[in-house]
Amino acid sequence: MSDGRRKKSVNGGAPAQTILDDRRSSLPEVEASPPAGKRAVIKSADMKDDMQKEAIEIAISAFEKYSVEKDIAENIKKEFDKKHGATWHCIVGRNFGSYVTHETNHFVYFYLDQKAVLLFKSG
Amino acid sequence: MLEGKAVMGDTDMKQTMKEDALSLASKALDCFDVTEPTQIARFIKKEFDRSYGSGWQCIVGTHFGSFVTHCSGCFIHFSVGSLTILLFKGSVGEPAPPDRCSS
Repeated sequence: MSDGRRKKSVNGGAPAQTILDDRRSSLPEVEASPPAGKRAVIKSADMKDDMQKEAIEIAISAFEKYSVEKDIAENIKKEFDKKHGATWHCIVGRNFGSYVTHETNHFVYFYLDQKAVLLFKSG
Repeated sequence: MLEGKAVMGDTDMKQTMKEDALSLASKALDCFDVTEPTQIARFIKKEFDRSYGSGWQCIVGTHFGSFVTHCSGCFIHFSVGSLTILLFKGSVGEPAPPDRCSS
């Protein structure tokens, strides 16, 4: 399964060309409560569909492996750094709001199993 | 006026920048309610973008875990009252090793 959109991973020095889109991620405090079983609900996204699906798949896998939110966040972030180039950031939890700047087309916010996942690329 | 002392979690910021972060959090909590974490995050991030260059990210909440990569000297994680605040700069520059945080 080759991802044609995979970015070149620059090792160190050369700064990537970054288009920063100062976008407010409106994260409502309403907790989603999906029915039994894990179901992903995309709340906000600026990301191509296939990358969104990948984010959800990686998140589902992470939720199965880990129970601590920071471990889940770590797993997701590292997978994306590996597959789509640095630098990604991931926040996982039941209650948080955020205001972030991200690269265009590299932002997704979704609910999974009553927890919110915020994943975005910046820098 | 802080509705309670700030409890420092983890930071690699210099004293001046750290004090700015705490001060802004205090101001934000004067302007916004704890039920408006996004507004608080916005307030803090905007001020830091203005004072220390763009690329700042801010997360505010009572229950979250995170894993981020940040610039050296530009990371702080602390609690004020019932809220935990994560502020870091993730833009271009020499990224420091990732830090974990959780509230």
